[in-house]
Amino acid sequence: METQTHNSSAAVSVSGIDVGKLEKELAAMWQPAKNEDGTVAEAGTTRVCVLNLIVYAAQQEDRAEIDQLLDEVTEQTPGRSIILVADRDSADAKLEAYVSTRCQTSSRGAKQVCGEQITIEASGPVIETVSTAIEPLLMPDMPVFLWWKDIPHYEDKLFNRLVGLADRVVIDSLAFDHPHEDLLRLAEIIRTNPQFMLVSDLNWGRMTAWRSLVASFWDVDDYRPLLDQIDTVIVEYDPPDVAHSAIAPQALLIIGWLASRLGWQFLGQAPHSDGQTTHFTLQALGGREVKIELRALPDREGRDGWLASLTLRATQAGAEFRVAMNEAGTKLETEARIGDAHHVERVVAYEQKTEGQRLSRELGLLLRDRIYEAAVTAAAQLLAALSQS
Amino acid sequence: MSATVMDNPLRAGVRLERTADPCTVIIFGATGDLTKRKLVPALYRLVQERLVPGEFAVVGAARSEMGHDDFRAKMKDAVAQFSEAKRVDEEVWDSFAQGLYYLPVNIDSPDDYKKLSDLLDQIDRERGTQGNRVFYLSTAPALYAEAVKQLGQSGLVNQEKGWRRVIIEKPFGTDLATAKQLNRDIHEHLEESQIYRIDHYLGKETVQNLMIFRFANGIYEPLWNRQYIDHVQITNAETVGVEGRGGYYDKAGVVRDMIQNHVFQVLSHVVMEPPASLGAEAVRDEKIKAMMSARPFTAERVRNECVRGQYGAGSINGKPVPGYREEEGVPKDSTTETFAMVTMRFDNWRWSGVPFYIRSGKRLAKRVTEVAIQFKDAPHQLFGREMMEQVAPNQLVIRIQPDEGITLRFGAKVPGQVTRIRDVNMDFRYGASFGVQLAEAYERLLLDCILGDPTLYARTDMTERGWEIVMPILEEWAATKAEAPFPNYEAGSWGPQATHDLLASQGRRWRRP
Repeated sequence: METQTHNSSAAVSVSGIDVGKLEKELAAMWQPAKNEDGTVAEAGTTRVCVLNLIVYAAQQEDRAEIDQLLDEVTEQTPGRSIILVADRDSADAKLEAYVSTRCQTSSRGAKQVCGEQITIEASGPVIETVSTAIEPLLMPDMPVFLWWKDIPHYEDKLFNRLVGLADRVVIDSLAFDHPHEDLLRLAEIIRTNPQFMLVSDLNWGRMTAWRSLVASFWDVDDYRPLLDQIDTVIVEYDPPDVAHSAIAPQALLIIGWLASRLGWQFLGQAPHSDGQTTHFTLQALGGREVKIELRALPDREGRDGWLASLTLRATQAGAEFRVAMNEAGTKLETEARIGDAHHVERVVAYEQKTEGQRLSRELGLLLRDRIYEAAVTAAAQLLAALSQS
Repeated sequence: MSATVMDNPLRAGVRLERTADPCTVIIFGATGDLTKRKLVPALYRLVQERLVPGEFAVVGAARSEMGHDDFRAKMKDAVAQFSEAKRVDEEVWDSFAQGLYYLPVNIDSPDDYKKLSDLLDQIDRERGTQGNRVFYLSTAPALYAEAVKQLGQSGLVNQEKGWRRVIIEKPFGTDLATAKQLNRDIHEHLEESQIYRIDHYLGKETVQNLMIFRFANGIYEPLWNRQYIDHVQITNAETVGVEGRGGYYDKAGVVRDMIQNHVFQVLSHVVMEPPASLGAEAVRDEKIKAMMSARPFTAERVRNECVRGQYGAGSINGKPVPGYREEEGVPKDSTTETFAMVTMRFDNWRWSGVPFYIRSGKRLAKRVTEVAIQFKDAPHQLFGREMMEQVAPNQLVIRIQPDEGITLRFGAKVPGQVTRIRDVNMDFRYGASFGVQLAEAYERLLLDCILGDPTLYARTDMTERGWEIVMPILEEWAATKAEAPFPNYEAGSWGPQATHDLLASQGRRWRRP
């Protein structure tokens, strides 16, 4: 498969975008190509639209990454993408828009899956109001996703306005510049105004296989009673790239998930950290203590911010359940051990998905992810305690 | 979803796929084609996709003497050759192969079932499979009853220590009497809830989509009846011949091989009423209810509304192919039908007066399975007879294979100063709308069985009803086989001319798929 794009000239206007012209140009792009004699040179392309995707890019340099991302997104979820390149550093007012189609073609050259794209370049004071130019460009009554990698650390009018247009906002907590602060801010938004935005987190998607394997231990009837005897959880992770001393959001979220699902409460016992390992104590129903260890591993290339292993122990029963990623980051190994008598291991492939494929998967989700929200909330409680200790 | 999964607090959430209980899958006929082409690749994929737990094992059972390692090596080659990815991930395979076993088993030897029982107990202890078992009968059909009897007598399908399920491959009997006998035989040892009669057509994404299309959308169901539908055409066409199965096929024919099972399953999704729920019994109740209203075939109806055919020499995709009687294993004077067209009628409020034309055959022009719903003409020809003759009635086509999708044909004005109307197709293709690989039917069906969901499996009454409907056709054609004008269609065509004449006599024509 390869991608073909057809671009139009810019529909330029600093006073606004000519929506009619853009729509007309897009319509023309869907026409079948013709030979010189007027005969049809290639079959017309089926126009498929399952969603609107607004992509925010803070700088032109992000464009290459976004283009690659959209190639993959189009293949699985064709629709209308609106890329907003916002140059906030420029004082010059600028508002330009142009359209293109993006088609995945088969090896024989036949167009298979096509999506359409409108690129808006804005700078200066126009940025604050550019959302009013985006709204009329949305395909009517199809879901709207906003892909804005980070959570802004401040009150951002553009972000708020685009969130207002969107049914769902896609973020990536792996890319948080300030993992602890950003996670706390996300938890605050979820706590104070849950209707403001429904969130998809690519990083949460990366952890689906982990969560699925951990959950599968307790799909087994014989192991189920041990779930109420877990007293130790050890999480190993690679520190985030941008904030080396921070606990990786994946590690916090997996503990947040376990705590929120299993009813483990943080009751104020001060956490402590030796720089590499952070210790928390939670309390399960019935008063049982659950010791949590979050261990930062020595840095491994390409694995910044990723989980390395998760171990759950029920000490009295002599039981241990472990999921670990192999060195290459391609496989997940699981192990269930109860005493010396019972030991089951297996290896499964870890989904080798590109970022575009991960984003596509998020674009298939429309329901509120309350499990994620609860995990964020619980993780934020740990962070708040850590910041006070 | 099973109750055990619901009880797991970590299993909740929109992203986590359903997973199954620990279990062992035992394949009888493990040295056969189906095992290597479909079953083991599908099981490997389920493991790879984490849809079965770590406490999982597969046991191959067949007559041949072979060790575990030989079987593992053969299955590894099979996965490399027949899986969608055409490759094996070494680490995942090694992990899967640890739970892959082989045991030589003679289907009628009680001693061998004792050995199998011992092996399964050992696997339960070593791999934590908890006594849950799926027995997959992929043997010669004549051995199904014996295998179930031996499983019953050896206590292997006793559900005191874990659930026990048995998957039975097609063909389920060779006629109504043998199907009923087989049902009686297996019911001596199995509850109906333990029996999973597989029809791989039901595992196809587009067949499942028929339910979604009809019952998740508000706009089609109001039109889905005799008020608006003129007739329905179901085409199930193969380009292949008998593919070295001449001996088997000549005893079967297309009605036994395709229509009474696969085509009727598809048909039942088209004619059924909305079920009360998506529960297995609710769906299967509606399917059988609809099929019970199928008008019985009389000898006269068979003569007037059905057509049989057998292909002669011709060419497929530009390549010459021999006629059926020249195929290996086929008698030179065979009167077995390789093509059948039957006209089904349903005597109920929804479908009264709406014919369902079904055709299925080998060596036809194109490989395609589709359901075409032809709507009635607009009630008043506002644009004049001549204008309207240029356009065909609205048609909704649901393509099941290949190129799965849905097409709606309607008339539209041709741009210009004068009013001219043309047919246009509004086309939805799975491949162009969701760039994802559709799951293999066997993957879906095996997982459903492990999860204890029989919705996509055929129930006793459905298998017997299929035979009840076709028996008068088979009997009439057997009684008049000397009159069969075979061969009567050329390989690479769309079947006998009589099928086209039959529709023409009713003012209709076959659509070209």
